[in-house]
Amino acid sequence: MSQPRNGAFSRRAILRGAFGTAVALPWLESLVSRRARADAPAFPTRFVVMFSPNGTIPGNWTPTGTETDFTLSPILAPLAPHQDSLVVIEGVDQRGGGGDGHQNGIGGMLTGQVLNSGPFAGMGSAPAGWPNGPSVDQRIAEVIGTTTKLRSLELGVQVGAADNWGRMIYRAANQPLPPEDDPAQIYANVFADLHADPTALAALRARRKSILDTVGAQYTRIEAQLGAADRARLDEHLTAVREIEQRLTTPFVPPTPACQDPASPAAATTANDDFPAIGSVQMDLLVMALACDITRVASLQWSRSVSQVRFTWLPSPIPEGHHDLSHRPDNDAVAVDKLTRINNWYATQLAALMTRMKAVPEGDGTLLDHTMILWCNELAIGNVHSRTDAPYVLGGGAGGALRTGRFLTYAGDVPHNNLLVSLMNIMGVPDQTFGKPDWCTGPLTGLS
Amino acid sequence: MVAWSITRASLTALLVLAGAALSCKSSNGAAQTSSPLCTAAAPGPAPLRRLTRFEIARSLADIMGTDPSLVDDLPPDEESDGYDNSSAAYSVSPLHAEKLLDLGEAAGAALIADGARLRAFAGCDPTTDGADCVNAFIRALGGQLWRRPLADGEVSDLAALVPPAGISAAIAVMVQSPGFVYRAEAPATPGTKLPASALATRLSYLVTSTAPDAALLAAVSDGSLMTGTGLSSQTDRLLATPRAAEAFEHFVNEWWELDSLPSVEKDTDLFRTWTDDLPAAFAEETRRFLDDAWQNGPTLARLFTGSVTYADVNLADFYGYPLPAQPGFQPIAVDPAHAAGLFSQGSFLATHAKADQTSPVLRGKFVRSRLFCDPPGPPPANIVITPPVVDPRKSTKERFQEHTADAFCAGCHQLMDPIGFAFEHYDATGRWRDIDAGMPVDATGMLTETDVDGAIDGVQQLTAKLLKSAEVESCVATQWFRWAFGRTEQTPDDVCTIGQLAHALHTAGGDMRSLVRATVQSPTFLLAPTGDAP
Repeated sequence: MSQPRNGAFSRRAILRGAFGTAVALPWLESLVSRRARADAPAFPTRFVVMFSPNGTIPGNWTPTGTETDFTLSPILAPLAPHQDSLVVIEGVDQRGGGGDGHQNGIGGMLTGQVLNSGPFAGMGSAPAGWPNGPSVDQRIAEVIGTTTKLRSLELGVQVGAADNWGRMIYRAANQPLPPEDDPAQIYANVFADLHADPTALAALRARRKSILDTVGAQYTRIEAQLGAADRARLDEHLTAVREIEQRLTTPFVPPTPACQDPASPAAATTANDDFPAIGSVQMDLLVMALACDITRVASLQWSRSVSQVRFTWLPSPIPEGHHDLSHRPDNDAVAVDKLTRINNWYATQLAALMTRMKAVPEGDGTLLDHTMILWCNELAIGNVHSRTDAPYVLGGGAGGALRTGRFLTYAGDVPHNNLLVSLMNIMGVPDQTFGKPDWCTGPLTGLS
Repeated sequence: MVAWSITRASLTALLVLAGAALSCKSSNGAAQTSSPLCTAAAPGPAPLRRLTRFEIARSLADIMGTDPSLVDDLPPDEESDGYDNSSAAYSVSPLHAEKLLDLGEAAGAALIADGARLRAFAGCDPTTDGADCVNAFIRALGGQLWRRPLADGEVSDLAALVPPAGISAAIAVMVQSPGFVYRAEAPATPGTKLPASALATRLSYLVTSTAPDAALLAAVSDGSLMTGTGLSSQTDRLLATPRAAEAFEHFVNEWWELDSLPSVEKDTDLFRTWTDDLPAAFAEETRRFLDDAWQNGPTLARLFTGSVTYADVNLADFYGYPLPAQPGFQPIAVDPAHAAGLFSQGSFLATHAKADQTSPVLRGKFVRSRLFCDPPGPPPANIVITPPVVDPRKSTKERFQEHTADAFCAGCHQLMDPIGFAFEHYDATGRWRDIDAGMPVDATGMLTETDVDGAIDGVQQLTAKLLKSAEVESCVATQWFRWAFGRTEQTPDDVCTIGQLAHALHTAGGDMRSLVRATVQSPTFLLAPTGDAP
C-alpha cells in the first residue's frame, strides 16, 4: 500500500539504453552480420503469449477489407506500423467449461480444456478448479524449450491473487504456473549470468546444486512414508525442485551482442497508476530473455480476468474499473468508447512489444521475424461473457513459418482448439489435436 | 492428481441437513437455543497441509528470529472461498521451489549473522566449533523446524553439506524441506488417536499459526498433552498468547474479505479526503480493534457493535471522530449511533465499495455469503449486468433500486441490495454521511430468506438481527471450520461437528474462543483421518 509511485519506475529508461545504444553502433551491426553468416541459421523460433482481460468491442476490433488488403480497426490501429507482421483472426470460437465465464474463459483460452471441479466458487456456478490439461505454450516448450536455461518464462503485471481467475499457463492438468509480477525478482533470478561475478556465480550454483540435491532426497524419502494423495502433492513439489536444479547446470551462452544486462529495475507495486510502467519493464525483460536465448517460450499476462484496472493515465482518464465497464450494455455509447480506448491501449502495448523485438537484430532479420506472438483474451464480449468470435491477433514471422500481413475470417463453428493446433504446428510441434478431443477437428485451415 | 469427490449436489444436500440440524427457526424469527442433533463420530479427511506464507513467516521468526518480511517474495497462497490455507487449492510450480530456495538461503544468512541466537541452539558455534557442534546444532534447529526429532541419517546428510558449503547451506535445506513446509502426518489407522507430536503441531497451528513452543513440546514429552485436562490447559495457555490474537486477526481478515485492503484506491476527485495512507491506517485500526476484542472477550456482539475503535490523529480527523490526545493509535469512543464494530470501519467499508460509489451489492453480498453462508445464486444467463452510472442527481439507493425494479435482476439482487442499503450512511471510503446526492440518506432495507427476516433501518438494526440469528451462529461456525481444517465441510460428520461448534459458540454468548476450544475436542481434530482427501 502507498508504495512510492512517482519515479519508482522511470519508464523506458530501463532497457532503452542497452537496446538503443546497441543497435545504433555500426561496428555492432557488422559484427552481428558476420556472426550470422558464420553460423546461420542460428536463430531459434520463439513463442510468446500476451493476455489482456474482459473481452473487447467486436465492432471496433474487427478490421475491414480482404485477407491481404485490409484496414485496421479503431482498437487495432496502434498496430499499423506492424501490419505486415500481423495475422488478425476473426470468427474462431473460444471453448471452455466449468465455473463462471471468466474462470473457464481464462482457463480454457490456452488449454482448450474444461475446468475440473475444485475449490474456487465462481459467481453463481459450481465451484471449479484448474483446467484438465496443459496450456499450448507448455506443450510447445516441451519440444523447443529443452536446451534453454528456462523452459518458459511467465511474466505478470499486477496479476495478484492465486486462483483460477488469474492463471492461464498450465504445465499439466491441475498444475498452474504462476507469473512473476515483480521485475526486480525476474532481474535477480533470470539475468544473473549477465551481471554477477562469474566465479562467485559458479560457486553459488555449486552450492545450490548441493542444497537442492539434499532437499530432493528429503522429498523422495518422506513420500515413501505417506498415503497416495499426499504423495502426489509432494511429488509435484519434487518435480519443481528437480527443474530448478536442472537450470543450475544448463550453460548460458549469450547468442548475440544484442544480449545485454538490463538495468536493475525497481520492485513492483500494486498501485493502479504504476500498471503501465511495470508492464513496460516486464516487456523489456521479456524481450531480453528471448534475445539472450534464456528461454524460447514466454508469456505476459496483463492483470487477470475480471480485472478492475482503472485507466487513469489515458489522455481522457477513465475512472471506472475495467470489469465494471465491461458489463455496460451495447447501447451505452460512453462505455463503448471507454472500452474501445482500453483495448486500444492494450493494442498499443502489443505494438510496443513488437517494436522492441524488431530492435533486436538477428542475422538478416530481427527477433520479431523469429517469434510468434499470440494476443488473446478470456472473452469476446464482456457484458454477456460470450466467447463466440473471440479476438485473436498473431504477430511476428515465426522464422518464416507464418505468412503475415493477413486478416483471416472464419464462418460457422470453428473451435479455438484448432487454432491451438496450428500454433503448435507453426512452432514445429506436429500434433494434430490439442485440448479436449471433441472440441478439436485438426489445424485451423488457411493459417500456416 | 487431485480427485474431486464432492459434488455441488451433495454439498447442497449436506447444507440442507445442516439447516435441519442447526437453524431452528421459530415462527417469529427469533433464535432458539440450539442443541446439536447429532454427534460427529468420524473425523473425515485430512488432506496434506502446506504452511501458508503467514505461517512460514511466523514459524521462522519464532524459531530463528528472522524478519517476517522474508516471505514477501514467495508466490501468493492460493485462495479458496477467501481462505489462504485450503489444501484443495494449492499447487507447486518451479517458481515456488525457486522462491523457497531463496527463502532458505536468506533465513540461513540471517541466522548466521545473529551469533547469539546461532549459538543458543546447541551451546556452541556451529561455524567454528567442529563436527560435534554441527551435529548438535542440526539436531536442535532441525527438531524445531521439522517439529519432530531428526533421524541419524538425516543429521549426517545435512552435516555432509557443511564442509563445502557452510552451516548456512544446511539451514537453507532445513527450511525448504518437506519436514518444514508441509505438515505431513504419518499414516495411522483411520479413526485412532493421533500421536502427541502430531496433535501438538495441529494445536499450535490451529491456535497460534506458528510452530509449537517449548511448553507445548514439553507437554508432548511428559505425555500430559494426551490427557483431556492437559490438552485443555495447553489450549487455554496458547489462547492467551499474543500469537493467538494475531492468528485470530488473520482469520477475521480472511473471513471479512479484507485481503484487498492494501490495494484499495478511491476516486480522489469525488473523495477529496482520501489519501494513499488510509488503507494502512484502516488495517491498523482493525488490527487494534481485534486485538482489544481478543483480550477482552471476542464476542460476535463486540465484532458487530463495538463502539470503541482505534485511530491516530489523522485517521480520527478523516472519520470526524474526537481527536486522540496522545500520539499514535488510541482508543476512541465513537458516537454509538454511528459505531457498529467492524461494520463501521474503513477496512470493511472501503473494500466493500467501488472506487467512485458505495456498493450495496458488495456489502449485502458480504452479509449474505459470509454471515449467513448463503451466497446468492447465478445471474440469469446472457443478461447484461450494468452497475448504475454515478448520476449526481440520484442517490445510490435510487440507482440500485433499478435492480429490484427489473424482474430479471430482482431474483438475485433482492437478496443482497436491501441488506446493503442499511450501510448507506457510510460512503465508499468509510466516512459517515447524512446526505447522499443532496438528499437525506435513506438506510432502510430488508432481511429476507433468513431466520431473522424483517425491515431494517441502518446498520444498528441490522446487527441487532444478526445477533439474534441461529443461522449466523451456524455460519460463523462453518467459516471457522473451513479455516481451522483447511477444507470445506464434506461429510455428514462434518456437519455434526459444525453443529457442535455453533452450539459452543451460542452457549459461550458468542465468544469466538469457544470455537477453538470446541474444535480441539472434535474427532476431526483428535483422530487420524477417515476417507481419502479429495
